[in-house]
Amino acid sequence: MLKTLIDNWGMLRVMSHFMKSVGGAKGFKLFSQYDKYYTAEAVKAALACGASCERPGNDFQRLLFDIARRRLGRCPPPEVGRPREPAPALMREYFEMVEDVVVSKACELAAKPVRDVIPEEEARALYQALVSADIYKAFRVSLYLGTGAARWGRVLLIGAGTQEPLDFLKACELAEAKCEVAAMEVDEVIFRDLARLAERRGFKAYLGWDSLGEGQFDGAVAQNVLHWASDPLDVLVRARRHASRLLVSQVVIEGSGIGFVLTYVLGAVRFLSWREVEALARQAGWRLERRYAKYPDYIAVYTRREQRR
Amino acid sequence: MSLVARFRCPVCGAMGELALGPEMLEEARRAGAARAVAACPRGHTVVLTLDAYGAVRSAVPALAAESSRCEVTDKAPPFLRRKLQALVEKGAATEEDALLLEKAKEAGWIVC
Repeated sequence: MLKTLIDNWGMLRVMSHFMKSVGGAKGFKLFSQYDKYYTAEAVKAALACGASCERPGNDFQRLLFDIARRRLGRCPPPEVGRPREPAPALMREYFEMVEDVVVSKACELAAKPVRDVIPEEEARALYQALVSADIYKAFRVSLYLGTGAARWGRVLLIGAGTQEPLDFLKACELAEAKCEVAAMEVDEVIFRDLARLAERRGFKAYLGWDSLGEGQFDGAVAQNVLHWASDPLDVLVRARRHASRLLVSQVVIEGSGIGFVLTYVLGAVRFLSWREVEALARQAGWRLERRYAKYPDYIAVYTRREQRR
Repeated sequence: MSLVARFRCPVCGAMGELALGPEMLEEARRAGAARAVAACPRGHTVVLTLDAYGAVRSAVPALAAESSRCEVTDKAPPFLRRKLQALVEKGAATEEDALLLEKAKEAGWIVC
């Protein structure tokens, strides 16, 4: 617990409002306890349907059992009791989603392809529910305020989705900062919604990297983008062409459990460790300016390397 | 082969029946639920909500159905039902809620 606090000290300090709203260090611990509990429950449900820790039959089983080994030490997992203390209100919605989408469907997901269990339309609706959940909105607003990104000026939101621009604008409003937001999305379906939002809320929306042209920004934000990307290095390299600063906020494999399985079910394609994220950023030509947290959310600000020469 | 859906009239309690064609089941399968209008043996017009297996999920008098144009189906995940119900009744107050409502309809969690 102490190591976790030290590794995340920067986040605890600069995102103090968010940390208070989830119950501070105690809330952090409770989140971890619930995460372990639901991870164990999901594994139990999959095993009860014939899945095997030794011979996982599909990618869902492989990921779930891998996470169980990381979080709970082994698979089959030890017995994990439900935490006695109720989850703070902000966390409740998130864990209820985990229970409905992962735990209660773990048996089916262990036997069938994901999209046979959760069709595309449902995955998109669940994605919208996830990104607009109160805990996630509070996290993002606090992140943009705490790291100072809301004061960067012209900002490019990479793989923005539909919620990130709204939260960024909220942070700008709270910081009383003049922001010029550009939101880029590579998914055409999400882009259609994003373009409508952009028109109503007065920011720019772009479909794909090429549509940005030679556009330059004061900063770029990659908030939980890399696990959706087929080539995360390419994302970071392209970001460098358009911005001199980069905020990376990425959920990583260390200290993270069932949430990873949830994002996999919704379509995420890879899972990275915080060291892998840093290695990729360096390889892409970014220089680490400040790291706020290592895990379960890796948070850091980078600058373009040649600027420092 | 056609199925017969049995329902209890919400006005008089009489048992009614409605023959279901494959198109209706296909529609329910695609959208999560399908709507059908039926008449009970005593002549009351009833709006039925049917699932992909032809089971009647709800039966409401036609007048009541008109006053509440959309409803949350059993297909909606439990953690979201209360929120979706509120959105159906009161409308979306924020951009994100409007999007959630739209996506929930596309997923068949809400039928109108």
